[in-house]
Parts: sequence; C-alpha cells; structure tokens
Amino acid sequence: MDKPRFSFEEFKAIFPDHCESQEKLLSEYNFFLMLLEQLDQVPVPKLSAGQKADIFRRSWQGASRNRSPVWSWLGLLRRPAVTFAAGIVLGCSLMFAVAKGRAAVPQSPSPQRLLAVEHAGYTQVYTGKAVEGLYPQIENPKIVIERPRKSSTPQRVLYGTLDKGETYVVWNL
Amino acid sequence: MMDGHDRITDKALIEAVQRGDRDAAACLYHRHIDRVHRICQRIVLDPSLALDCVQEVWLKVFRSLGRFRYRSSFAAWLNSVAANTAIDHYRRSKRRSNRVDIDDPEVESMAADEQAGERQLDDELTRQRIQEALEEISVSQRTAFVLRYYENMPLAEIARILGCREGTVRTHIRRCLLALRAKLMAELNQ
Repeated sequence: MDKPRFSFEEFKAIFPDHCESQEKLLSEYNFFLMLLEQLDQVPVPKLSAGQKADIFRRSWQGASRNRSPVWSWLGLLRRPAVTFAAGIVLGCSLMFAVAKGRAAVPQSPSPQRLLAVEHAGYTQVYTGKAVEGLYPQIENPKIVIERPRKSSTPQRVLYGTLDKGETYVVWNL
Repeated sequence: MMDGHDRITDKALIEAVQRGDRDAAACLYHRHIDRVHRICQRIVLDPSLALDCVQEVWLKVFRSLGRFRYRSSFAAWLNSVAANTAIDHYRRSKRRSNRVDIDDPEVESMAADEQAGERQLDDELTRQRIQEALEEISVSQRTAFVLRYYENMPLAEIARILGCREGTVRTHIRRCLLALRAKLMAELNQ
C-alpha cells in the first residue's frame, strides 16, 4: 500500500498541457516516478502495540461516556423501521384524540330538531318541529315563556312572521 | 478472540459494535488502525500530532458508528473521517512550527558519529528536505496527493472528502508534484 501508484495515463491526465514529444513526456514521467520514490524514503513511524492499545482504550471510553440513555434512544429512533412504527403509533394516537374530542363537543341546537329549548335567566324559548306543528300558518314560530322574577307568573308569547316575513306576529298565549 | 474476529466482515463487526460489543470494536480498530495512522501522519506531518489525530478519529468513529448506514464501505467512510480530522488538526496547529531544524541535535549527533558515515547523513538530510517540502504544500494539495498515491483512492472519492470537483483534485495533485519537484530538484539530480 505504501508504493505510490502513478500510471503514465494518469500523468497525462494530471498534466494535460504537456504537449511536447512522447520522449519528453516519458522523461518527465520518469522524473516524477523518481520523485515519488524519494518520497517513499520518509516512512511513517509505526505505532507500538502499547500506543495502539492506549488509543483504543481512550477512544472507546470517551465514546462510551457520551453514550447516555437519551442518545441511545435517539440513535434507536433513527432506525427507519422504528421511526416508521413510531409514526404509526403517533398517528393513531392523534386520530383517537381528535375523534374523542369531536364526540365531546356539545351539539348546537338545530332547527331540524323536534324541540329545542334555550334558557336565558328566567326566560325559556321553545322552537323546533313540535312548535311548527302547533302553528303551521306561522313562519319560524317560537314560544317564549317569560318571567321577570322567579316568583312571577310566567307569560307565554308566540312570536313569528306571516307572508314570507312581511308581517311580524306577537301573540300572547 | 481476535483470530475469530478476523474472518468476520466489517459489517458484522459494526453491527456488534452498535450493540456495545467491545471486542468487536477492538477487532475493527486493529483491522484499520495502521491505515488511519498513515493518513493522519502524512497529512499532519508530525508524529505527536498524528497520535492525537488518530485518537480523535476513533473517538468520532465509535461515537457515530451507531448512525453508520453503509452508503459507502466502512473503509471509505473511515478514510474520509481520518482525512478530514487530520486537515482540521493540521489547520488548528498551523501556527506551531513543526519543522525539524537543520541544527537538530539528532542530526548533529549523527554527523558526529563517524560510523554513521556520509551516506547516512545525506539520507537524513534528504528526508528532512522532503519533510520541509511537504510542509510547504497546502494541506488540501497534500491530502489529495496522499489519498491518491499512498491510499490509492479514486479521484471521485477524494473530491467528495475535500468538497471539490475532480478537476480541482487533479489541480491539487499537479501543484503538489510541481512544488515537490522544485524543492527536491537538487536531490533528484544527484
């Protein structure tokens, strides 16, 4: 491995601007081969067995110190299969949470319901299909039971419209 | 224990190391330590600096082996870590002069030793001249040269390590060769 590899083809690729004769080119190439041989005279000092063991011990221990449980978990999460599985679990959890949240949201009164009651203080407002059935001639009928105070006698009033909203109806029941 | 591991592939050893197997780590280390040391030494050009560099390389390797994904061979990845760590090391220590002075006591003692002879002294001086010539070349040029001619790495791989194009690697190598030739002309013509 210590032997430099320097083919003539590579020499020509590295010195593309050399346009002299083939002889001159070969002479230059041989010169660089000599140069590389000279460089081989500077050998890399070998590591002793003790130095090798020492470097290994320090490197391994140094790396182990950094291998905290948190890093181990992060390392584990970087595995594609684990990441994929974690994604599925997270996705399912989110979907479950959203579905549960939707179920818990109170439904707002719908005009299509049979009877809806709104409370405001001591006043109650009744709307829905049941009220519409009672007064089919009235548009958007609503019965309001009003009490100024808790002990007051309740007053029942029918509100609505006629002729497509042209006439407003207020009728004490 | 080591003999058993010698027949095991790098991949199997890496998987064992990822599970925390210290023996597998030792085997992987001993399999590649000489090459890592060669690369570091030839780039940083200083034996004590090379030792620190080698240790830093293996620290990085053991820390990041858990994330190694075989996008390239382990040896190629290790070469890349070694070369980049050595370049960083060299640049950090750039201000410190690592040159061996011509009045170095070792050389003086050799000169004084009659048995060493003139030939030995000449060889030693040539080595020092080469060392000086290598030190005067930029670290990128030297790294390109070392990886190509001592580690036989393909130009594309060297380009990836140095973060440049293959053409730039060729330029680095050409400049390195020309600088060495200029510096060592006298020795070569002897």
